[in-house]
Amino acid sequence: MSRLLRSEVFKLRTVWSTWLLVGLTAVLIAGLSALVGYVPHRHAINFPAKGTASWFDLLFSVMGLCVDLALVLGAIMITSEFRHKTVTPTFLAEPRRGRMAAAKLIVALGGGLALAVVAGVVGLVYGFASVATGVGGLANIGTMLTEFRHVWPGLAAAAVLYGAYGVGLGALLKNQVVTIVVALVALAVVEPIVGSAVPSVGRWLPGYAAQALESVAASARMHAAFGATSSVHLLVWWAGALVIIGYGVLLAALGSFTTLRADVT
Amino acid sequence: MATIEAQHLTKHFGHVVAVDDLSFSVQAGTVTGFLGPNGAGKTTTLRMLLGLVRPSSGRALVNGTRYEELPDPERTVGAVLESSGFHPARTARNHLRAIAMVAGIGSARVDEVLELVGLSADARRPVGGYSMGMRQRLELARALLGDPQVLILDEPANGLDPQGIAWIRNFLRWFAAQGRLVLISSHLLAEAAQTVDDVIVLNHGRMVGHGNLAELRERATTTVRVRTPDAERLVQALSQAGIQARQQAGDVVEASATTVEAVGRLMADKGLVVLEMTASGESLEELFFQMTSGGPSTGGMAAVSSSGPRSMPEAPS
Repeated sequence: MSRLLRSEVFKLRTVWSTWLLVGLTAVLIAGLSALVGYVPHRHAINFPAKGTASWFDLLFSVMGLCVDLALVLGAIMITSEFRHKTVTPTFLAEPRRGRMAAAKLIVALGGGLALAVVAGVVGLVYGFASVATGVGGLANIGTMLTEFRHVWPGLAAAAVLYGAYGVGLGALLKNQVVTIVVALVALAVVEPIVGSAVPSVGRWLPGYAAQALESVAASARMHAAFGATSSVHLLVWWAGALVIIGYGVLLAALGSFTTLRADVT
Repeated sequence: MATIEAQHLTKHFGHVVAVDDLSFSVQAGTVTGFLGPNGAGKTTTLRMLLGLVRPSSGRALVNGTRYEELPDPERTVGAVLESSGFHPARTARNHLRAIAMVAGIGSARVDEVLELVGLSADARRPVGGYSMGMRQRLELARALLGDPQVLILDEPANGLDPQGIAWIRNFLRWFAAQGRLVLISSHLLAEAAQTVDDVIVLNHGRMVGHGNLAELRERATTTVRVRTPDAERLVQALSQAGIQARQQAGDVVEASATTVEAVGRLMADKGLVVLEMTASGESLEELFFQMTSGGPSTGGMAAVSSSGPRSMPEAPS
């Protein structure tokens, strides 16, 4: 199994799409953080005052983008094998297909963590930069770090699990573009609709489960700041984690019986 | 010694029967040609041997085991497949390294096989920029990573230039001469005939002939063309005698898999008029056509081993 894991990590390292995702994570989070730093405090829209705990929460919540990108990374890991037909040499080298899928699931967890680390580094750089450039002064370092500790671990956990969720979804859907579009549309469009229509169901969906993880401590306050945007009563964080793992494993298992079981022609 | 074996191998794709109750075995030390027209079931059979396609029934075995159960597949079987792919952004060397890692094969061997197929100079370029012939050679390099005992090649000549084809031919002879096994599919008999010792001929998913190529050549009997005013009666008489015959344009009858003597005697017996009779020396190609145009039948012949060892061929430059 360790050879399979090494091979999967190597495959990720040796294509530019992986580095594009890493770059996107850094650039998008840097850009959005800059935007948060640029927007002046406005009571009218409940935009928090700079240097407050809520403001740092908001700044760091931008790192949450890495969760969606982890999903894309996991999806690409498996669907690119079908897209470029590398699945043939892959299965020739490891004909026990379940082991290959398991290796990808595990490596995708690591990939999600890597993106979360990139996001964390960028987030912290902005945190320190904003403190250093006079947002509340150096005395705010403590507040900044406390909020980072509140926000990042949940995001990182969600990113890690979303990597595996992406592999599972890709194993089932097989087509790269379809997988990514389905995943992102489900997250950005379908889930909010279901969430507001049937909140009791919405909380069990992967997006809200990720929110449950991400908002271990922070977003309760954030939601308060923004005036409770969601009617969904989120799961407790560990239940959220289990739900995402459940989706990943369930989809991968379904994929094992359909896509992965299918003839490679 | 390495073996390949199919036991009542059958594969349905929906209503289409791609491979139909196919049984054969191939021994080490030979190059065996897997021949048949497009759609005869060659690729499907090879893919079943490699665990990529699941048989509907029957078994496909390498060294007596299903591919999925081989303890070290990469070191046992090397396969060159047409639809095998490459990530366009990954370099050739990294493509091979990723696969080598799974089998616990080091980078030194990766460089060795790249050298062997003549791709060393381009090894660090993304495969996306490779020509078809280069991809085919990279595919061969991948097959050779584990220095396998069995080599399975699906239409390896496709996309290769004449030098590349000649090189592959020499390489396969050299490989088999070391007591290893080569199974190579082709829809071009003329091409395969220069490489193979034994043949297995498929048509509509069934085996329509197999045996040693040299013996098959000998068995390849002449086609006899007869010009006669009694064409219809001749066809009838030949058919009754178990000789395949068909009436060509007007008064010409063509009898296949027979001899001038046999046809001449038959016509004398029946009192038929001969205006002209010619025997064309039959090529292997014609034999191949015969086998793959008629219904299924099996010509049983023993497989015989190949010629002695030759030196390692140079890679094409």
